Amino acid sequence: MMEFFQWLENTGFSTWVRESPSVFAFPVILLLHTVGMALCVGISAGINLRVLGFAPGLRLSPLEKLFPILWVGFWINAITGTVLVMQDATNKLRNPDFFVKMVFIALALVVLRMIKNRVFKDPQLDRVPLGSNVKVLAILSLFFWLGAITCGRLLAYVGPVGGLG
Amino acid sequence: MESLNLAHLHLLLNHLPTIGFGIALGVYIIALVARSDALKRISLILFFLIAVMALPTFTSGGAAERVLCPENKCAEGVSPEMIRIHEDWALLAFLLMEATGFFAWLALWQLRKSSQLASWNWAVVLLLSLVTVSLMATAAGYGSEIRHPEIRPSETASSAMLLCADTPGVARCIGAVVAGNTGVAWLWPAAETVHFIGLCLLFAVVLVVNLRLLGMAKGLSFKALYQLLPFGMLGFAINLITGMMFFLAAPGQYVNNIEFHRKVALIVAAGINVLYFMLVDEDWSIGPDDNAPARTKIAAVFAICLWVGILYYGHMLPFLGNAF
Repeated sequence: MMEFFQWLENTGFSTWVRESPSVFAFPVILLLHTVGMALCVGISAGINLRVLGFAPGLRLSPLEKLFPILWVGFWINAITGTVLVMQDATNKLRNPDFFVKMVFIALALVVLRMIKNRVFKDPQLDRVPLGSNVKVLAILSLFFWLGAITCGRLLAYVGPVGGLG
Repeated sequence: MESLNLAHLHLLLNHLPTIGFGIALGVYIIALVARSDALKRISLILFFLIAVMALPTFTSGGAAERVLCPENKCAEGVSPEMIRIHEDWALLAFLLMEATGFFAWLALWQLRKSSQLASWNWAVVLLLSLVTVSLMATAAGYGSEIRHPEIRPSETASSAMLLCADTPGVARCIGAVVAGNTGVAWLWPAAETVHFIGLCLLFAVVLVVNLRLLGMAKGLSFKALYQLLPFGMLGFAINLITGMMFFLAAPGQYVNNIEFHRKVALIVAAGINVLYFMLVDEDWSIGPDDNAPARTKIAAVFAICLWVGILYYGHMLPFLGNAF
């Protein structure tokens, strides 16, 4: 397994990302990861807060149009995240914190789907008050995203740490 | 040459939070006595703008210190103790001024929902601004004594906290704690995490509101959308607090860092930008499926670009500048 991690880390692309002085290598990839996070978690948090009862004058149904932006953010992060793990595979893939982060993201995605199905597919949306079930989902969603961000940030501090954040 | 300009910038900017804020408070009191809604609005706008400008005023202070005391050796006639006292009072005044700015903005926002404002907020703004003005005057007084060694403080600056007894000044002490110099290693990473959470909140609101203005997600009326703005402001408040923690912990990384200056300049511009949306009346009547007027769309494009720019320069601090 370690050989595979080392191979991953030493591919030409990984080396370029890690070692190139170009601003478009590591810095911009990490920047995109931050922007993706803002799009994905930010919009998700906005919808969750609305579901929880904040900003009651805001109709929920048009918010569904924001999901494409959320997914753009998610895929930006899936791609840049893969690159960031590749260039430091021997550390990141041996760091339990990384796998905790992945579990948080997986759970957040499951809950996101459940919210989408239960809230936005409901023909009674914006006509009847939301049930307490979806509110629990919204709280869970906020918690899972919070966990994912915290674990992500901690990757620079705990476990085997290599290179920049 | 650049740092010399920054010291001058500090001397130039510090009139705004002192004299400017005093004027704003005067207008506010006249408005309350005369029951003039127009004057009330003007004073709220002034409070908000001055709170925005207080950010570069405070951060340029660190650069000014480095001009007066390069490598911690102060020039003849400069009192380092006085700098610490000035910094502590300035930090306290800055905190209160930002709180005043926040509630002034909230008052402007509430005025959008109804012409009558919650009476509690008038009192909050009045109380905060009165305290701020006196703190600011104290800070300015000590600041003017930095260059006058004949006026020495009777007491020397001492840290009120046992936490960092060797560090003079409360601001330096907070910085030392955040930096982990007192054994609290988790505070900096925790503040970074919280900074990211604030970023998500702020950026999401900026995007949702401005993308709707540009025509996406029609079906949302402007009025309904504006309920989201306090969440964005909350995100900004979170990031201002955590950001100041970083600034106090490692001022050397920021005060002469061009990326940081650009970031602060863009934050000021974004503050003016958000004021546009609070002031233009016709935007508030944009219905769920209406198009926004062209100039509002321009302001929306500016808003998105400014915040992406702030995120960019913040992110680039470790790469293009000298911060970590």
